[in-house]
Amino acid sequence: MIDDIRVGALIAASSIKRGNKKTLIFIVFVLSLIFMNLVFLPSMIGGMTVLFTGFMQDYPYGDIVIEPTGDNTYINNADNVLQKVRAVEGVRAATKRLDVGASVEHKQKVVGVTVTGVLPTEEYEISRYPYIIKEGDFLGELSRDEIIIGSIISGTSTSFGEIYDDLGEARVGSLVDVTYSNGVKRTYKVKGIMEATFELVDLNAMVHYKEIEEVYGLDVGEATSVVVRIDEAGTEEQMKVKIREAGVNEQVFTWADKSEALIRQAMQSLGAIDVMSKFVGLIVGAALILIIIYINILNRKKEIGILKAIGITPGSIVLSYAFLSMFYVSLGIFAGMVLYLSLMIYFQANPVIFYETMKIRPQIDPMLLIQSIVTMLTLSVIAGTLPAWSVSKESILKAIWGR
Amino acid sequence: MIRVKDLKRYYGSGATTVRALNGVSFEIRKGEFVAIMGASGSGKTTLLRILALLDDATGGEYTIRGLKVSRLPEAERSYYRLTQVGYVFQDYALINEMTAAENVYILSMMEGKSKKESYRTALEALDKVGLKDKHDRVPDELSGGEKQRVAIARAIAKKPDIMFADEPCANLDTINSEQVLEVFKDLNDNYGQTIVMVTHEPWHVKYVDRVITFKDGVVVGDEWVEEQ
Ligand SMILES: Nc1ncnc2c1ncn2[C@@H]1O[C@H](COP(=O)(O)OP(=O)(O)O)[C@@H](O)[C@H]1O
Ligand SMILES: [Mg+2]
Repeated sequence: MIDDIRVGALIAASSIKRGNKKTLIFIVFVLSLIFMNLVFLPSMIGGMTVLFTGFMQDYPYGDIVIEPTGDNTYINNADNVLQKVRAVEGVRAATKRLDVGASVEHKQKVVGVTVTGVLPTEEYEISRYPYIIKEGDFLGELSRDEIIIGSIISGTSTSFGEIYDDLGEARVGSLVDVTYSNGVKRTYKVKGIMEATFELVDLNAMVHYKEIEEVYGLDVGEATSVVVRIDEAGTEEQMKVKIREAGVNEQVFTWADKSEALIRQAMQSLGAIDVMSKFVGLIVGAALILIIIYINILNRKKEIGILKAIGITPGSIVLSYAFLSMFYVSLGIFAGMVLYLSLMIYFQANPVIFYETMKIRPQIDPMLLIQSIVTMLTLSVIAGTLPAWSVSKESILKAIWGR
Repeated sequence: MIRVKDLKRYYGSGATTVRALNGVSFEIRKGEFVAIMGASGSGKTTLLRILALLDDATGGEYTIRGLKVSRLPEAERSYYRLTQVGYVFQDYALINEMTAAENVYILSMMEGKSKKESYRTALEALDKVGLKDKHDRVPDELSGGEKQRVAIARAIAKKPDIMFADEPCANLDTINSEQVLEVFKDLNDNYGQTIVMVTHEPWHVKYVDRVITFKDGVVVGDEWVEEQ
């Protein structure tokens, strides 16, 4: 066995050292593309996921969101909850919100929306809403007869314009009529139009918290959610526990908990593409590795026959091809990695733009890289040994003289 | 040393059967340099391949030093090929990506010798064929005669009981052929190497001790060559 390994290594080494360099470069090139194929699309999809979850944090959920228990529509003592939450170490800011359903009307055009009641000054610390007003201004503390509408409903969205109904002509300064889900009707002046290029935001409207309280006749301190931002990203789970320990009995979720369900829906098709692309990539990769190495071995059938004829064991011959293909694949992975990382660096600087403003930067997932490397190495050993084994089983005469 | 009794090798079956060897018997003793001669298609290559354990006989018996090798399992045949039998091919059959020395010492390594010792053995064998100073050349950098001498060095490095050569000079001009035949003669005279060589060149006869002549798969002549 030791002799087989030594001889196998000698055969492989000399074939690498003095073999055809063009063939080597070609094989390594193809293998690097196979590697790229395995890791690139998943990285793009990873980038989309990150973008999506970023939206979740920046708009509806913050880092941690507290929601009413059971069938309750409201958190009853939101101010009490806020007080407790703000006292927890590691919490940067917290605010309460009221989400209700309504329809908005302007010049005979009507669209259904979710209206969120917010405390405008607090939102600056919590969300990106105040920073995405593309026309007009964000709400102020005194904005009681004013409303912010999403760019899609205003009809000014450049990205989603064709997909959804809109109000057509509603601009900053226009008056719109809002009919709340309890039938109460109010008229507001459009103070600003917000655009996040994210449907959950751009399809919504926003008024002062006090408005919703008044329209629905709520007690002070009722909220549909309490949104929390924390100091340190990545500590969401620990903070969730801390908040519970601080005596908050409502339901506490991290943004990941919340997006998971949503992502699962929104990304389901994407996830399927991801899995399929990995699967197809693997199959194609495996087939290509096999073909390349098999052709390489067929080209050297005679050499295998000679080696056997002079007394080299089939074991050494098979091992030499295992070494050879491992070498090819390692170089291929290395080249693929260089290619991949340069592309990653490029796309970090020049993100792929979706819907004109959504910048997708592919994510490097070390687990995926390790998985792909291990898979390719395993495949290479199989692809190297199987054909070599079958050829080395052939009769010497057939291998050398073809009959 | 080797004994062949009623050896047969048929190719194909039925009406198209080719009787390449049709009952061949002879004996070769240690230290003999034997030429196998005969017209093309008379069965010389077929015989040599069977003797070198590269092919199986259809019938008959074949013994090396009393051991019946005709029906050994492949692993043992592989071991025999490695340790007891040297084979020189018409087209050299060197590994093109290995240097002369590597082509030779790979076999010593296969036998389990250290790299250093293998290398020493290889140089020794290359010295015997007069190519010590070209040990680090690859086959492409050698002439046909030199390549064949490397192949001979490979065959003798393991000090085989018997060495076979199938038309080793077929691809060589007269000068290179003479060099190769001189090497054989030297190995036979000075090291007592037993050699069985197939050839159809009458002038090669002067190098050998004995000529066995084939025709249509049977032995038609077996003579000793007079020393000149
Ligand atoms: N693999 C084979 N299949 C069928 N016939 C073969 C094969 N090898 C050799 N022969 C036939 O066997 C006979 C002897 O061939 P061979 O031993 O090569 O002759 P020589 O070496 O004396 O020229 C020839 O008729 C040849 O055509
Ligand atoms: Mg022949």
